Amino acid sequence: MASDHDKHDDHGHGLAHVASSKTLLGTWITLMFLTVITVTATRIDLGPSYNLALAMAIAVVKATLVLLFFMHLRYDKLFHSVLVAGGILAAALFVGFALMDSSQYQQTIIWDPSHPPLPPFGPIPVP
Amino acid sequence: MSQAQHDAHDGHGDHGSPFIQHHFDDGQHQFDTGKLGIWFFLVQEILFFSALFVAYILYRNHHPEIFAYAHHYLDVKWGAINTAVLIVSSLTAAWSVRAAQLNQQKLLVGLLAATIACAFGFLGIKYVEYTHKIHEGILFGNRFDPCVSSGGEALPNKKNHCHGVKSSVVWDAKTKAAAKGCLEGDFDQDPAMARIQASCEVAEVTFQGTGAKRVEQSRRSIVACDTTPLEGKTGWAARRPRAASSASPCWELINNPWVCPKGPAAMVYYGDHAARGHQIEIEVANCKAAPKPTEPTDVFGDVVRPGGPGQATYVRHEPVSKHELALEVSNGPPPPHTNMFFSIYFAMTGLHGLHVLMGIFVYIWLLIRATKGQFGPAYFGPVDYAALYWHLVDLIWIFLFPLLYLIH
Repeated sequence: MASDHDKHDDHGHGLAHVASSKTLLGTWITLMFLTVITVTATRIDLGPSYNLALAMAIAVVKATLVLLFFMHLRYDKLFHSVLVAGGILAAALFVGFALMDSSQYQQTIIWDPSHPPLPPFGPIPVP
Repeated sequence: MSQAQHDAHDGHGDHGSPFIQHHFDDGQHQFDTGKLGIWFFLVQEILFFSALFVAYILYRNHHPEIFAYAHHYLDVKWGAINTAVLIVSSLTAAWSVRAAQLNQQKLLVGLLAATIACAFGFLGIKYVEYTHKIHEGILFGNRFDPCVSSGGEALPNKKNHCHGVKSSVVWDAKTKAAAKGCLEGDFDQDPAMARIQASCEVAEVTFQGTGAKRVEQSRRSIVACDTTPLEGKTGWAARRPRAASSASPCWELINNPWVCPKGPAAMVYYGDHAARGHQIEIEVANCKAAPKPTEPTDVFGDVVRPGGPGQATYVRHEPVSKHELALEVSNGPPPPHTNMFFSIYFAMTGLHGLHVLMGIFVYIWLLIRATKGQFGPAYFGPVDYAALYWHLVDLIWIFLFPLLYLIH
């Protein structure tokens, strides 16, 4: 990809790298292809967690492609990639810390006194 | 930023664009500054959306059965088309940056217009989806009052059911809905309460049914009841719970009104016959709500017993996984709190749709500027920044689509 961009549009004196038409079209076709794959994969039963893992893996690949090529991160200043990585890290920390004690939550919120809340997840007390 | 301003301070030499503001050293300085700004904005957008993903992950972890059930309400077809529409618009957006950089003015205008068209296409499809959900009562919070189960079977809801003592229910097989009338009891969102609706005196049953060869139509009073217990999934049904007494027929509506099986739309046992037909009218009177089950059970049918102050003990009946149970119920009534799925669904897709809408405004602004030829190799920052924003919107959808539509 690097060689192809060298011989194409970017001669080093634009304001920014110009994405080659080959890169844009290639990214687009890959994204469309992965969309078909992810929809098709839902019909195959791998067990709920593996189906979820596969769908998320495909989504991560798609997101990476968008970031690298459509959003130019591959050719852009490293600092912008650092920003994105930092943002994702911060989001992961936020999600992780927010969910850390979630096994202690009540399964349901009381909104009908005749339906008492269920106990939290965790080891089931033996009577 | 205006031409006049630039003319007045034309001290920057040959930067090629009147839109280079004089507090920047040059066009490169302005471009890099803007780009840094948009990246900071996008990073906080990731954090913004991550709060909604927390809600999603938390609720899906605690209530997988709700997600396994409720995603059937969503149409994968529309979700997949919208994904494709957004990816196409991402291509046109990315290409519009290239067109501006290479000074391809006509192509730039065309690509910006195409991006706007795709954005409208996306919102148009969302409109179709939202309208359908509003019509069917598949909404958030206490607005969740669906007409059908996620498997497409008719459910009683507030549109075809009224509170208080009712007189009759007409079940229409063609529309798969209670055509008129109502039943005793508040089904609301809790199927556990619907197991036994009410005990009622049945005054009269009218049915029109199709037998093997002839259409039967009759109207008769009930004088006796079949005491054979009905199986759970027979559609509307009534049976007499107590010893038959022709003097005072008191019937109990049992069935699960949440499940109307394919085939006969309704089944009523009376005398020693089982009447089934496409339209059955059950007239009931003097209904009393049935007593609640003594042992509280959760959605999986496990008995929950108080285990001490602030504690409860589960008695597991069958070693089945939640996933299996979720699959089992997917054609039945919604599990309790299914409305939470749609609260999350509407919050996530709604916020995302709002971003698409904002993108449309930005792109219309760009289109107007592009038709005036204001962008070129020396000045294309706004096109680039808008495209970055647009890609992020696409990126969020790349995750929303499998998480909401493609639940296995």
